[in-house]
Amino acid sequence: MEAHVAKNLPADMEPGLSATAFYEPKNFTFPFGTHIAVVDIDPETGEIHFQRYIAVDDCGKQINPMLVEGQIHGGIVQSMGQALFEEVVYDETGQLVTGTLMDYALPKAVMIPHLELDSTETPSPVNPLGAKGVGEAGTIGATPAIVAAVVDALAPYGVRHIDMPIKPEVVWQIIKSGPKKNSAGAA
Amino acid sequence: MIPANFDYIAAKSLDEAISLLAKHKDDAKILAGGHSLLPAMKLRLMQPKVLIDLGRIRDLSYIKEEGGQIRIGAMTTHFQIEISDVLRRSCPLLPETAGHLGDMQVRNKGTVGGSLAHSDPAADWPAAILALDAEIIAASAKGDRVIKATDFFVEMLTTSLEPGEILREIRIPAAKGKAAQAYVKVRHPASGFAVVGVAVNLSINGGKCQSAAIGITGVSPKAYRASKVESALKGNALDAKTLSAACAHAADGVDVNSDLYASAEYRKQLATVYTRRAIETATARVK
Repeated sequence: MEAHVAKNLPADMEPGLSATAFYEPKNFTFPFGTHIAVVDIDPETGEIHFQRYIAVDDCGKQINPMLVEGQIHGGIVQSMGQALFEEVVYDETGQLVTGTLMDYALPKAVMIPHLELDSTETPSPVNPLGAKGVGEAGTIGATPAIVAAVVDALAPYGVRHIDMPIKPEVVWQIIKSGPKKNSAGAA
Repeated sequence: MIPANFDYIAAKSLDEAISLLAKHKDDAKILAGGHSLLPAMKLRLMQPKVLIDLGRIRDLSYIKEEGGQIRIGAMTTHFQIEISDVLRRSCPLLPETAGHLGDMQVRNKGTVGGSLAHSDPAADWPAAILALDAEIIAASAKGDRVIKATDFFVEMLTTSLEPGEILREIRIPAAKGKAAQAYVKVRHPASGFAVVGVAVNLSINGGKCQSAAIGITGVSPKAYRASKVESALKGNALDAKTLSAACAHAADGVDVNSDLYASAEYRKQLATVYTRRAIETATARVK
């Protein structure tokens, strides 16, 4: 503090005191994990319901596990939005028709299942803390897990790919078209 | 997101509100909670010059049993209906419907009368009001007028309220015996409004359906009674075959809405499926 008060310093000395140091890790960090989505599809309506959602992530040494859990929760919920709800739609005249939250669906608490989380702790060798990134772990794992679960459920209908967001009507149309013997037929 | 200029008048009594409405006519809108009107004003879809607020009139908010009817004041909030012991005992369809409506903030401030008078095609109340064979009491300088629920909803955002009339009360006939009731809904994932909402009110005796009233909202520009489903149920045992044959008529004779979430074809399917599920839920409750 004293270093910042100019009047206490000799006349020829500028106030302030700072130091900068750079640390270059030997490599990037590579967090990893496994996400599993178990979904039910209502055959009459195409609506998708989560039976379970399980995620095990490894972000190395956790300094504050509660914050890590919060990051994972947030990422998974963001993924559920991407996989199932969020869509920017323009009409044929170029007008944005999902421009308000009355039209653009974000996931809300009631749409989210209980998230079963666990973690392993493999310290990173490339920094003194042994820490790895966790900010995007949830959203990287969850989006493909959810879509893969839906595609797996629709496998008897020959589905190998489905576009996000997966809307119930699209799923219903696939089911209505009937099972396919040859699974090469795509949706 | 800022409304056009308007004057605000807090009416102290229903009579004062009626005379204010007679004075300002089409320039005025009645404010009854404001959870539909104010958003519409902020988007400038509506630009009334005068708002006549019923919010200070305490004797428009009540739930009571009288004259073989349940009477609900127009300014009763959704939440008051949701938690009403009288209604949970005598007409559980209304508290159940209230619980599906909007979110906590909307239920705390929005009113049943305001919602009905607004007549949003995806609102929840119209389905329940139709299924309960309710009467709407409209007050004006000429006195009260009784409107049957089936005559009340005219078009999208249009009711049979005349200029100068204010919706004052909703009357529900008391159920004869134990009614099988349920409201089920497909919520729009963004707005929470009904993509499809089905209210059923059945009486079942000796395993057979004695009477059936089914109100459906969200499916067409106005809520309607699924009369073909009702007549297919009446007098019959509600087995799976009867139900699925009857419910195939859930969207008969109406213009089916189509939007980004659900095409007309899919909405019709939802109406069929959820009508059957509403009936199954209702009948399971009285077993």
